[in-house]
Amino acid sequence: MTITIGEGTCGIAAGARDVAALLKQRFPEAHMQSVSCLGMCHQEPMIEIANPDGKSYLYGKVNKKNLPKIVHFHQGKGDIPAANFIRSSDEPDTDKGSYLTSQTRIALRNVGHLDPTSVESFRARGGYKAIEKILKGGMSPEAVLEEVKTSNLRGRGGAGFPTAIKWGFARSAPGYPKYLVCNGDEGDPGAFMDRSLLEGDPHSVLEGMLIAAYAIGASKGYAYIRAEYPLAVKFFGQALQDARQLGYLGDKILGTDFSFDIKIKEGAGAFVCGEETALLASIEGQRGMPRIRPPFPAIQGLFGKPTIINNVETLANLAWIINNGGASYAAIGTEKSKGTKVFALAGAVSRGGLVEVPMGMSIGEVINKIGGGSASGRAIKAVQLGGPSGGCIPASMFDTPIDYDAINATGAIMGSGGMVVMDSQSCMVDIARYFLDFTQVESCGKCTFCRVGTLRMKEILSKICEGKGTMEDLQILEDLAPQIKDASLCGLGQTAPNPVLTTLKYFRDEYIAHVQDKRCPGGVCKALITHTINQKDCTGCTICKRYCPANCITGELKKPETWVIDQSLCINCGMCKEVCNPEAVIVESLGLTAAHSQPMRASA
Amino acid sequence: MGRFAVSNQSLEATVDPELVRKWVKDIGSDSTAAVPLLQAIQTEYRYLPRKAMDLVVGNTSITASQLFGVATFYAQFRLRPVGRHMIRVCHGTACHVSGADRLDTAIRQILGLQDPDQDTAANGSYTLEKVACIGCCSLAPVMVVGEETFPNLKGADAQRSLQKHAKAAKEVLPGDAGQKDADGDTKDASEAKKSKKSGEARP
Repeated sequence: MTITIGEGTCGIAAGARDVAALLKQRFPEAHMQSVSCLGMCHQEPMIEIANPDGKSYLYGKVNKKNLPKIVHFHQGKGDIPAANFIRSSDEPDTDKGSYLTSQTRIALRNVGHLDPTSVESFRARGGYKAIEKILKGGMSPEAVLEEVKTSNLRGRGGAGFPTAIKWGFARSAPGYPKYLVCNGDEGDPGAFMDRSLLEGDPHSVLEGMLIAAYAIGASKGYAYIRAEYPLAVKFFGQALQDARQLGYLGDKILGTDFSFDIKIKEGAGAFVCGEETALLASIEGQRGMPRIRPPFPAIQGLFGKPTIINNVETLANLAWIINNGGASYAAIGTEKSKGTKVFALAGAVSRGGLVEVPMGMSIGEVINKIGGGSASGRAIKAVQLGGPSGGCIPASMFDTPIDYDAINATGAIMGSGGMVVMDSQSCMVDIARYFLDFTQVESCGKCTFCRVGTLRMKEILSKICEGKGTMEDLQILEDLAPQIKDASLCGLGQTAPNPVLTTLKYFRDEYIAHVQDKRCPGGVCKALITHTINQKDCTGCTICKRYCPANCITGELKKPETWVIDQSLCINCGMCKEVCNPEAVIVESLGLTAAHSQPMRASA
Repeated sequence: MGRFAVSNQSLEATVDPELVRKWVKDIGSDSTAAVPLLQAIQTEYRYLPRKAMDLVVGNTSITASQLFGVATFYAQFRLRPVGRHMIRVCHGTACHVSGADRLDTAIRQILGLQDPDQDTAANGSYTLEKVACIGCCSLAPVMVVGEETFPNLKGADAQRSLQKHAKAAKEVLPGDAGQKDADGDTKDASEAKKSKKSGEARP
């Protein structure tokens, strides 16, 4: 019997380690294998049990309570535990299992299927075949470049620049040594593809780095990984060690003239380091501030030498392209966007997690077919794509295909692939404010328009969220946005206004409701909502009073008719609503019309 | 109140100069070593003591302006001492839309943090930190206490998890709800929960 446990960061967070310990007790003779996130984060902790006869069963949301049923089933007692069952080797396409069967996995081909700390497990799945094919098969760097060119792979970090063209610049640039940098500094809130790849399949990223380094003639490499991803740093470090020992890394790799070694640099938490030139400054030990391009890093990068920076996901695709040929990669996708794209699906969606789909699939298919639609049953309003550099696409445009150009046309960007779904209880003005708050803090401050412009935008958005905005403010936002875009040096400032512009474009009515009616349709903006107790539903249990941080709820035990919230003290934090079991706390945003009879509070 | 109004002076670390020299020897002394050296210092002392930074400047070719410039630029680095345990609340997009703010409110309440600039409990037990994203978006909202990650939280869950953590770590939570109800007019939270569950409080 083989038991596989998903122990990625998400699995561990959900309690996978306790489950693993219990299983070890129950099945002491079983072979236990720890893999990283299978991508179905909504089902964590997940286990797969393969019976001695070869049949395997995948289970989700396993915990102490439901584990005995699963154990019984595998001991031949009782039925299959339906609540936890996802799919079996006999029946892969169940309702829950369709999450996986609807995907096309290239970058994620190994994630969740191998032990990330074991190079043998990686080789058993065909790992390092591509670099062997190149080095032992005598493939020239030009031939590798040509293969990647045929695949039409575009950079998965967000901008989508053709990988082979970028490589070509560095390859022909004079200067020695040349550098290859893996950008694993995933700073986008709402995205975790790089984490999953580095945690779940570090050797594939490493092999991708080898392929890229060979193609451009680099001899030194850096893996710049977020320090906030300790498991990724650890597993990638382990992978480097193992690869070095087996001769895949270091001097004269596999006995050829190709030498290449990699150092890990831990990022220190700066979103702007996603920008190539800022990332390089950071590796050099400076503040991560971007500089003017050209010269592009491909010509003059790290320590002034030709440098290629590739995103983790881009690198994870390379071995597949070499093994299967660029043409088979190019056969997937749309005319200008080839292959697949990984998305981190989260927010108000039933099944969140990692999703890899062929380019050209519609956004709606990802959210509804794979993601299972709304988690709450409320209508889905929009999806936020591309993080702080991206924008909100309304539900009415969910037939937009996943394609760099089609998504850019909506005003959002593909970005690194964060997809946060929002339902009717989200406020689009609040989301815009949230992102501007983020970009304003993360702006390195070099460009005035980025430094001051984003601050000004954030102030205006806060004003609107507090019900103090005017219609003129909307105009100011729209005037300021193109100026920030034009006058900023790097991608951070050039894309910072996107969340504001897209929400203004598609959800203008929500802005107007905030400005004119002093009402927050999503019921989010604290200054515009009220919390009240519906005494009909109240049981007088006192729990809301206990958790209220403002001490503004009063009433007597078991006397529902006495329970009230003092509106003059209430900070609208929502704690009472959260703890109230009979759902007796009501949130309303009554707006101006009601304000005549019941004065609105100015600010929280 | 200014950013450094709450100084956490009592939590300041004693710096061992030998340790700093050892890091310089292991990591390097040129300008590229600035970030990893600061990371080593912070791993040991959990913030960047002024003395350790001075020692780096004295023992390497890194200038004070570079080192302090780097230390203040990156979100990871802290110049103020922290409590014995860190609480990191994720404020990524998914956590934001799922109520990360309520976790903050709940944690600030139980830690007794009144001043908006205060991030460390008065007894030096816990420090609350906001982080941009820890990459557990599907389990939002999330907080990390020490090394342990708590997924799918509500404000009340965050308080309960902290109470559990404090009990195991033998720490006192200065703003614990149990003390708040000294007037005795409400029941204990667990009792209230019980009575609500069984419906006995319903008239």
